Amino acid sequence: MVNVKPKITIVDLVLGALIVAFGFYIIYKVSAGLSYHWNWNAIPQYFFRYDSESGNWVPNILVEGFLTTIRLSFWATLFATFIGVVMGLFRVSQSLFKRLLGGTYVELIRNLPPLVLIFIFYFFVSNQILPVLGVEEFIRTRGEKIQALMTFLFAQPSLFSAFISALITLSIFEGAYITEIVRAGIQSIEKGQWEAADALGLSKWQRMRLVILPQAIQRILPPLAGQFISTIKDSSIVSVISIQELTFQGMELMSTTYFTFEIWITITGMYLILTLTCSLSIAKLETALRKSTV
Amino acid sequence: MRLKIVTVLAVVMAVIGIHAHQTIAGEIQQQLVQESTIEQVIKRGVLRVGMSTFVPWAMKDKTGKLIGFEIDVAQQLGKDMGVTVEFIPTKWAGIIPSLLTGKFDVIIGGMSIRPDRNLKVNFSIPYDYAGQAIVANKKIAAGFNRLEQFNQPDVTIAARLGSTAADAANQFMPKAQKKFFDDEAQVIQEVLNGRAHAAVASAPLPAFQAIKYADQLFLPVQGTFTKEPIGFALRKGDFDTLNYFDNWIRVADAKGWLAERKHYWFETRDWENLIQ
Repeated sequence: MVNVKPKITIVDLVLGALIVAFGFYIIYKVSAGLSYHWNWNAIPQYFFRYDSESGNWVPNILVEGFLTTIRLSFWATLFATFIGVVMGLFRVSQSLFKRLLGGTYVELIRNLPPLVLIFIFYFFVSNQILPVLGVEEFIRTRGEKIQALMTFLFAQPSLFSAFISALITLSIFEGAYITEIVRAGIQSIEKGQWEAADALGLSKWQRMRLVILPQAIQRILPPLAGQFISTIKDSSIVSVISIQELTFQGMELMSTTYFTFEIWITITGMYLILTLTCSLSIAKLETALRKSTV
Repeated sequence: MRLKIVTVLAVVMAVIGIHAHQTIAGEIQQQLVQESTIEQVIKRGVLRVGMSTFVPWAMKDKTGKLIGFEIDVAQQLGKDMGVTVEFIPTKWAGIIPSLLTGKFDVIIGGMSIRPDRNLKVNFSIPYDYAGQAIVANKKIAAGFNRLEQFNQPDVTIAARLGSTAADAANQFMPKAQKKFFDDEAQVIQEVLNGRAHAAVASAPLPAFQAIKYADQLFLPVQGTFTKEPIGFALRKGDFDTLNYFDNWIRVADAKGWLAERKHYWFETRDWENLIQ
């Protein structure tokens, strides 16, 4: 590839100026047409607050929501990856039963709006499953140390079972997409690789583990990482079942303070911090992968 | 002789039958008591209360702690029962399904007692009365001073989805266009932006907003135009819990405690600096 240093021409300058002018026009229109008392000074106190009891700064409403979003996305990503890998292998399996199972799962989940899925799971499925498992009983009867650990990893006891149902729903939902990513990755490996592995006398499992998967993973990783960002974004949907993540906390705060726009803009910024960080790490990862393959 | 034996047998059987029947009834009663929400709550030591943010019924203060009239009521109820109270903030539209599927034990969330809701849940006796009020945009609803003036096809009314405010808007302004939102903040914002002529909401919110945005909003009609009893909502078929709540409300009312709390949250603004 020839390395040409980009030059800024007059056309670029004019276009750039036009875009900036348009941006300012929108801001002007919004601030003129919208009768709204801006009050940005009130926002910082909702990030952290000084706790006079312990004499420390502790997270307030928004940061707590932010942390819940991170927890939820982290665990959901982990479980969804697990589901996705298992189901993805099912999708390319030689057993008809496994293929049907994987296919039904993917088609069912992918063809439903996430919002509908979440309500169905929250009100019906999790309502039947969680009490049987005794999740709530379990968490409430634990000692203080374990409760503190669970609060740190998941959610406080009072919100634990709701958090778990949100987690299950989100994992199953994202898992369907990861299944397809895994399936596509495996199927993209050329037929010759399978045949070569076969010729070497490897067993079915060895072929997959030693030849196909190492190659497939390199193709799977970039879209998989993209799916992780989707998980963070989709986690805001669970605000409808009152999981106290960032969107929910923001909306609660809005109904108390009526700082509607300040809070929405702040939340936008907080989500961007999270997703852009992931995005940049993925870009790094992709570069690293390309270097290692070439 | 033979007849005698048969008779004796029949009597014995009947006695055993009646006795068994009584035992079953007693067991069922025992079981009902055991399974009542109130027993469960005391066993657990925690009362789970479903609520939704409604200023000044329930809201979060600066430190993220819940405060408000409903919160005081629930806290006191918990104290009198000797249990701790856990609040579960829930979206208004999903609050009844959440109660029915056992996400919490009771709704103490300013829920108006309505016959259609009552088909799905049981209500305690009212512990409070709410009313709907209307607040309008000064520019586009200028000169409006009667409720009928809002009942026009070219007038837009905003209200919260699934609330009694939405019902009141439909009932009193059937001809007007309606816009429903999930939160009161969005409802008020719609009026501030001039996309709706007026908002219907439970008092005292409209009055508070008219004071806050004095140069944009006004009260076309003073006071409230509906009166709605507010009660605790709980799952059906639980007589013990209903009885406890009813009598707790009677006692709290007789002591004047409810009126005192209501005055603090609804007629004073002493709590204003707690939230901002």
